[in-house]
Amino acid sequence: MEERPKPASATSHKRMVLKNFSEYHYLKIQLVFGDEKDRLSAVQLKSLILSALKELHGEVGASYPLDVLKFDGKTSSAILRIKSSGLVKLWTSLTMVGQYQGQLCSIRVLQTSPFLLALAGNSRELVLD
Amino acid sequence: MALFVDLNITNCKEVKKLQSMIEMAAHLGYSAVAINHVAEFGKKKAEIVKPIATKDLFPSPPTVQGKSTPIKILTRLTIVASDPSHCNVLRSSSPITKLYDIVAIYPDTEKLFHTVCTATDVDIICINVTEKYPFFFKRPPLRPSSHRGIFFELIYTPAIKDFTLRRNTISNALSLMEVCKGKNIIISSGAEKPLELRGPYDVATLGLPFGLSERSAKSALSTNCRAALLHGETRKTAFGITYTMKKPRDDEEEEESAEPASKKAKKE
Repeated sequence: MEERPKPASATSHKRMVLKNFSEYHYLKIQLVFGDEKDRLSAVQLKSLILSALKELHGEVGASYPLDVLKFDGKTSSAILRIKSSGLVKLWTSLTMVGQYQGQLCSIRVLQTSPFLLALAGNSRELVLD
Repeated sequence: MALFVDLNITNCKEVKKLQSMIEMAAHLGYSAVAINHVAEFGKKKAEIVKPIATKDLFPSPPTVQGKSTPIKILTRLTIVASDPSHCNVLRSSSPITKLYDIVAIYPDTEKLFHTVCTATDVDIICINVTEKYPFFFKRPPLRPSSHRGIFFELIYTPAIKDFTLRRNTISNALSLMEVCKGKNIIISSGAEKPLELRGPYDVATLGLPFGLSERSAKSALSTNCRAALLHGETRKTAFGITYTMKKPRDDEEEEESAEPASKKAKKE
């Protein structure tokens, strides 16, 4: 057997343990309407989420740093980012959304993770047929 | 991992609506649903109708999301009672209640709540969430109910519909949690439309503002529901002594008769 080529620089070993270092949580959500023709724009979605937060958790809940990172108008799904401390507040108020301007709708949380990379795969349906 | 169960889907007359609701539940990841039949005893001559035939509803039930198994459809009877005499029906009409997988009761008064917790033979006690509770939850009736394996049910659909109902739901849930400490709780939907259903993980998070811990919120959807189902099964049979399964006799007899015949043929 041939000898493996040695790396040019000397390697060093370092062990790091991080505890609760993720500052943000990411949520992948989907908006579902009773009437399939209805669509929302990204701005309307954000205002819907903010009003839902305000309704359930008041002014404090609505003032959590919240961003819509990506919005897909075709499937009306979006990726949200929230401070980790506000995750439960956001999630519960998303669940409580029942209507938008008199139209029945619901928001499904498809995935949630502290890392954005994890949203690339699907954790709920691991086997896709 | 215990499977997610939604124990309260309102039975409506339209079969299509019911089908779409069950399809939605399967899509969201519920492994079993129970169709709720309500019998109100406030009005006289309330009839306990026969449960809907689950096999007629779907020729082949939809598959659960993330799994390859079809969804399980159960039947449930809810008795709206305001007087202890209404509970007698439970005992005398046991052949009718035996048709249902789960029996739930909806007590209106404190006295009835006490008798239901201590003596009546039910699986689930429904907690009214739509209006302010007329009495306080006390510890004495709750203890025997938890010993007997009876669960308390909270419904989350009213909280989605209306602002005041949401406030009542949360306040009633919190006052119940103060007494029972998050044990023996079932959270179910009580949905009348497909869009009122929420995913199991969403509902588990919804348990947190209701005063449940993360762990008990998840067990309120899975483990506790399973326990209630098994409680219903023992009530149907002989109170936990025996439970016999019916074997598909026709096929087995054919197989049995077929096997010895083939063996005989070989011997000859």
